[in-house]
Amino acid sequence: MTQLLLFNVFNGLIVGAFYALMALGLSLILNLSGIINFAHGGFLALGAYLAYTLIPWIGFWGALIVAPLLTAALGLVVERVLIRPLYGGDPLYSLLLTFGLAYIFEDLSRLVWGAQGLPFAVPRWLTTPLSSQFFFLTGYRLFMIAIVAVAVGGLFAILGYTRLGMRIRAGTRDLDTVATLGVNTRLLRSLNFGLGIYIAGLAGVLAAGLLGLSPTIGSSLIMPSFVAIIVGGLGSLLGTLLGGLLIGVASGLTAVFLPAAQEAIIYVMMGLVLLARPRGLLGEEGRLH
Amino acid sequence: MCASFVTRRAVVKGGLAAAAAQFPRPFVVTARAADTVKIGLDNPLTGTYAAPGKNELIGCQLALDEINAKGGVLGRMAELISEDSTSGDAGTAVQKARKLIDGDHVDFLLGNVNSALSLAMAQVSNEKGILHIVPGGHTDAVTGASCHWNVFRVCNMTQMEANAVAASLVKEYGKNFYYITPDYAFGHTLEDGMVRAIKALGGTRVGGDLTPLGSTDFSAVLIKAQAANPDVIVFLTQGEDMINALKQAVQFGLQDRIHLAGAQQELEPLEGLPPEARIGTWVMEWYWNQPGVPHVDAFVDAIKKRTGRVPTARNWFGYVSGWTCALAAAKANSLKAVDMAKALQDFHLPPEIALGPNPAFYRAGQNQLMATLFVGNAQAKGEADDDLFKVTKTVAGADAAGTVEDSGCKMTWPA
Repeated sequence: MTQLLLFNVFNGLIVGAFYALMALGLSLILNLSGIINFAHGGFLALGAYLAYTLIPWIGFWGALIVAPLLTAALGLVVERVLIRPLYGGDPLYSLLLTFGLAYIFEDLSRLVWGAQGLPFAVPRWLTTPLSSQFFFLTGYRLFMIAIVAVAVGGLFAILGYTRLGMRIRAGTRDLDTVATLGVNTRLLRSLNFGLGIYIAGLAGVLAAGLLGLSPTIGSSLIMPSFVAIIVGGLGSLLGTLLGGLLIGVASGLTAVFLPAAQEAIIYVMMGLVLLARPRGLLGEEGRLH
Repeated sequence: MCASFVTRRAVVKGGLAAAAAQFPRPFVVTARAADTVKIGLDNPLTGTYAAPGKNELIGCQLALDEINAKGGVLGRMAELISEDSTSGDAGTAVQKARKLIDGDHVDFLLGNVNSALSLAMAQVSNEKGILHIVPGGHTDAVTGASCHWNVFRVCNMTQMEANAVAASLVKEYGKNFYYITPDYAFGHTLEDGMVRAIKALGGTRVGGDLTPLGSTDFSAVLIKAQAANPDVIVFLTQGEDMINALKQAVQFGLQDRIHLAGAQQELEPLEGLPPEARIGTWVMEWYWNQPGVPHVDAFVDAIKKRTGRVPTARNWFGYVSGWTCALAAAKANSLKAVDMAKALQDFHLPPEIALGPNPAFYRAGQNQLMATLFVGNAQAKGEADDDLFKVTKTVAGADAAGTVEDSGCKMTWPA
């Protein structure tokens, strides 16, 4: 039993790291622009489908690099055309817009790639367990963790040490002041949105290696990301990371005792956090009020 | 100076209005005319079951084209009206069923892929007295405890699938079984059926887990399943859940230690799996590669012309459902639901519709189609493209179904 619990804690951390990756992109956009991007799952699915289409031409590794970039490019177009007019307005408008976009993305992928699941294959050597004892540690899952670590490290490095990152952080605190200091906040928001969507695209390619690739891949993964943000706390990327890991472990541990509740538990956690500490574990008070 | 009568805003508004006007319409309408015989298909076109729902629609459209080419239903052209029931919202499915019956005045109601939605729709069709064919909702109750005189089912009862595969599993792989079961009507009855069938052969259930419908991560339950050390892990998940579960099990290398199997398998998920994950012992409810069985090749060609792929069982379910409407009307020489339902009791489908090695008939007193079950193993690649299943045994539906009494169906007819 102890071994089973330990296995599930480790496994939960792996799953949680993936939730965290998706949630970080969402959190980035929410923090700076106040946009609750329900279409994040749609971008994730798009990243996965683009990778599927590109693999015969440039291989898995090429697709892993190119597909998220293409997704981010589309994200920039969507931001410029649809989202930008809604900045500064009631968050409800952008929520409704992105909610609609999520459906449009799902149906578009159904139209282009078909309703049926597609066989997304990753290099064979990645999909074998590393040891028969710890069979849940497959090459692919460790690879995912590595990518998540690099992406999170890279994101924190950009935010911490680059001019763009400093502006994003400053804008997250007070965008008006940043604007009066002469920073082009339109460009800042665009780049920030593109960065968030890049992460969604990357998460999409990784997810397709683990799950079936079908039009609903995004919508089935989006809710845990929102929960990760709420549990971790709005306004804190570190909180989002922590939130993702926590719900992954909680879901894994619940599966040992009551698998039917392994999804419900993350919402229970969200409810408890909202009751006991409405700002989330590391969140700032008063965000999005 | 450059006066413009149409502003950009007006064009945009007009475009949006035109786009919006598309939505309330039925998804597909063919051969519309005033005196047509109308068949309403209320099946998922979005969500988890979009793929099987669409494939049933394609099969049904083929049937209607053939029916109309042969003179229609009682001399009138047949028209298909298709609505998206959603994959899991019973409220929408019921509302669409009422719309088809009360608004479009359909003569037949078809649907649903989802067992729970099939049951909900059956209540409506029974209340309205409309002949209702369930192409692919498997839970036993549809033609069991909740059977109705007007509701006929093409796909199998879950118990039939369990009975068909159980003997092969116990004989070849061992007696200890672990179940991964989707947590809704279909999964529950399928697991009950499997446990019953395997127990009768001396096998035991060493453990099992219910997983929420639409689960993405199966790693935690797979870790549990492996720890229980069974001979066979039985996957009762369907559609995308099946793809996710099998893909992850194979990445864990479980197939090297434990036999992976299940009851119902379909071509759609096998096509969605990478080759190395196309493994395990299963039951197919219809399979396209049936050497020597007459008329199958013609059906395969007809579907290939429409989709570019070989037909799946879902295509066949839709095809049989469409044809059942025409055949029932022809035999009863009436469009009255009671007359047609009576005409369908023990009605044998002609071989060009049955498309299997055994006779296919609607068993009287239960309205359940008895066709053929195909037991075998999934394979990475077969003789032809899309030949992803190796049939090792065929079982006549009637041999796997038990008796009408076993099913729990107590049919009452309108006075």
